[in-house]
Amino acid sequence: MSTVIDNDLWSAIGDPTRRTMIDLLLLADGPGTATSLSEALPVTRQAVAKHLAVLDRVGLVHGASAGRERHYQVDQAQLARAVAQLSAVGSTWDARLRRIKQIAEAIERKQRNSNNSDTAPNDVQISDGH
Amino acid sequence: MAHGNIQGTLEEGTIARDIYVDASPEVVFEVISSAEHMREWWPDDARFESLAGAPGELVWRNADTGETTTVALAVVEVDPPRRFSFRWCFTEAERSGSSLLVVFELTPADGGTSIRMTETGFREMGWEIAMLEAQYNDHVSGWDHYMPRLGAYVGRVVAAR
Repeated sequence: MSTVIDNDLWSAIGDPTRRTMIDLLLLADGPGTATSLSEALPVTRQAVAKHLAVLDRVGLVHGASAGRERHYQVDQAQLARAVAQLSAVGSTWDARLRRIKQIAEAIERKQRNSNNSDTAPNDVQISDGH
Repeated sequence: MAHGNIQGTLEEGTIARDIYVDASPEVVFEVISSAEHMREWWPDDARFESLAGAPGELVWRNADTGETTTVALAVVEVDPPRRFSFRWCFTEAERSGSSLLVVFELTPADGGTSIRMTETGFREMGWEIAMLEAQYNDHVSGWDHYMPRLGAYVGRVVAAR
């Protein structure tokens, strides 16, 4: 995995206008153009064209010349890859939170046990987390 | 669908997670907010006072080389048993510049506790920092290593009360 490409991908998708453009392209029936996107956004056609160039550079959209304007489509595979990279960061928190859950629940059970019975001190029941 | 994910998770540069824990908010708060508990669920060592504004450190130790990596942390809010938050991954020395903000919100639910964890600041900091975050994932890679330790650990915690 190339860090440089990932960093560019991250910043390309980090901009709210560009994310909205990706959404508009995904929702559209066919390819979009700088003109069609600028009609749906509060920014100029020139600004949209610049954003499209950024997205094109990191492979999130592909432009094809057709008539007077370039027609853009979302690259679903590259988009999925960007989402997966964020998920990888999120999954680190999943692991931490699972451990928080296990520790807190084990303490709670231990407290209930010591309040309710003369259970042996080492008799802590731990589910396997599956 | 992918683009729903994009809007939901990247809009604010935020990771959000919810988890239900079958333990009281008081117990959960203690596990989340005290350094001695945190080192059981995250770094190899954690040093901070659970006090708003307190500076602290998280430490990872390389099991093979013995080298340690220390990352600065700053406690932001301590409101038991409801909210605990801290900042880490500072871009500048002396806990300044940009950083990631981690917030735990606890709500009583069904006899237990609902935890909402959010980590924000990724958009300001970029992908390299996000990767840095991931790199501090786990000193423990899975339950195989972790589970045998837990029983003994909980025994110590309860005995110390």
